[in-house]
Amino acid sequence: MTTVDVHALGGAYALDATSELERVAFQRHLSGCEACRTELAELRETAARLADTAWSVPPPGLRERVLAEVRRTRQVPPAIPAESASSRRQVGWGRRAALAAAAAVLVAGGGIAGYQTQQGRVARERDAAQVARDRTAAIEAVLSSPDVRLRSSPVRTGGRLTVAASAKLDQAVLLPSGLAALAPGRIYQLWLIQGTTPTSAGVLPSAPVLLSAVRGMAALAVTVEPAGGSPAPTSTEIVSIPL
Amino acid sequence: MGQQQDHGEQRAGHLAAVPDAPTDRQDLDGLLSAVGRGDEAAFGRLYELTAPRVYGLARRVLRDPAQAEEVAQEVLVEVWRTAARFQPGRGSAVNWVFTIAHRRSVDRVRSEQSRADGFRRVAAASGHTPYDQVAEEVGDRLERHQVRRCLDDLTELQRQAVTLAYYGGHTYREVAQLLRVGLPTVKTRMRDGLIRLRDCLGVEVSS
Repeated sequence: MTTVDVHALGGAYALDATSELERVAFQRHLSGCEACRTELAELRETAARLADTAWSVPPPGLRERVLAEVRRTRQVPPAIPAESASSRRQVGWGRRAALAAAAAVLVAGGGIAGYQTQQGRVARERDAAQVARDRTAAIEAVLSSPDVRLRSSPVRTGGRLTVAASAKLDQAVLLPSGLAALAPGRIYQLWLIQGTTPTSAGVLPSAPVLLSAVRGMAALAVTVEPAGGSPAPTSTEIVSIPL
Repeated sequence: MGQQQDHGEQRAGHLAAVPDAPTDRQDLDGLLSAVGRGDEAAFGRLYELTAPRVYGLARRVLRDPAQAEEVAQEVLVEVWRTAARFQPGRGSAVNWVFTIAHRRSVDRVRSEQSRADGFRRVAAASGHTPYDQVAEEVGDRLERHQVRRCLDDLTELQRQAVTLAYYGGHTYREVAQLLRVGLPTVKTRMRDGLIRLRDCLGVEVSS
């Protein structure tokens, strides 16, 4: 099974009953599906009504504790679009935020593809747009694959790298987020590590990357290299993620 | 226990003064907007209107009162923190608050689950909290009856798929396992179950 009918996930999504990756895939799907957004808004509203049957008297002291915490909690301003989830207590939320950021990057990537289509005056550009769309579809297939596995790690120099890998598809999607800007003439280079031998997998861009033929690879790593890349790593890795 | 009973009655009396459903909902939209502007008094009122359901939902999903209390506190503070992002045209305040409440409860379940995979939450989905002596439910409310009546209108499979996911905090994969049906069936039942509920409850989203 290489594709999952993302559209059919609407009910499970509204009930918070999907995996995190399916959430990302579905959100990605929503960005291009007006009818889905409308339906989802209604299903969400409906799901929220289910809380009506769950009345319970809150424990004594909850109100005071909540009000006390509220008094020392700054509110986020309205203009900020991304959920700056509180990483205070739960790993889950940090991870969710990483995924949300990854999804946002994916959406941004889709935007670029659309822009290129509008620009498509010459066949070459149309081809490029088609490649971008195919790439986006391939990324979505990995993210919504039933056997997808997610690993995420902070990058030593800042930001985070998340890897979604599907053994079935023999593909992985890299979702970099918040990587630090490098000095001119330096790039992030990606390495696939088989046994202990690193093989270059090219330059790591700031957008999601699709990697094929990942089966048998032990890990992937990123180093900072001179522009143009190096045949072998010339510095220690800034992040390494087992596959 | 006697003390808790007194407390319960006191709260029940107070909550009984809460207006009926439609006013309640419009009130909440206005209140949440005011909270977004830093109005602490509005937050106090919002607390009165939502805390019993936020805590009740967390408790239904998590079952453990101590964890439910922690989650309820997180949720209510999060509602305060992010209220400025609420946009009345894009959904109701009820939806805003309970989306956060449910997701946080489920997040807690899933992070717990890696430690203790278990069946203890299965019973939670039945709609009853059998050991629940302290947390009595509050008065007879129109809305609650409406939701129960509409849940009863679903097919057995739709109802179980929806309630195991929502009240039990299960993923659709777990629900499929519990109900011994295939994944596509469960996904479909969740979706058409919610659609039927939507129609029964008359849920509309003004855009």
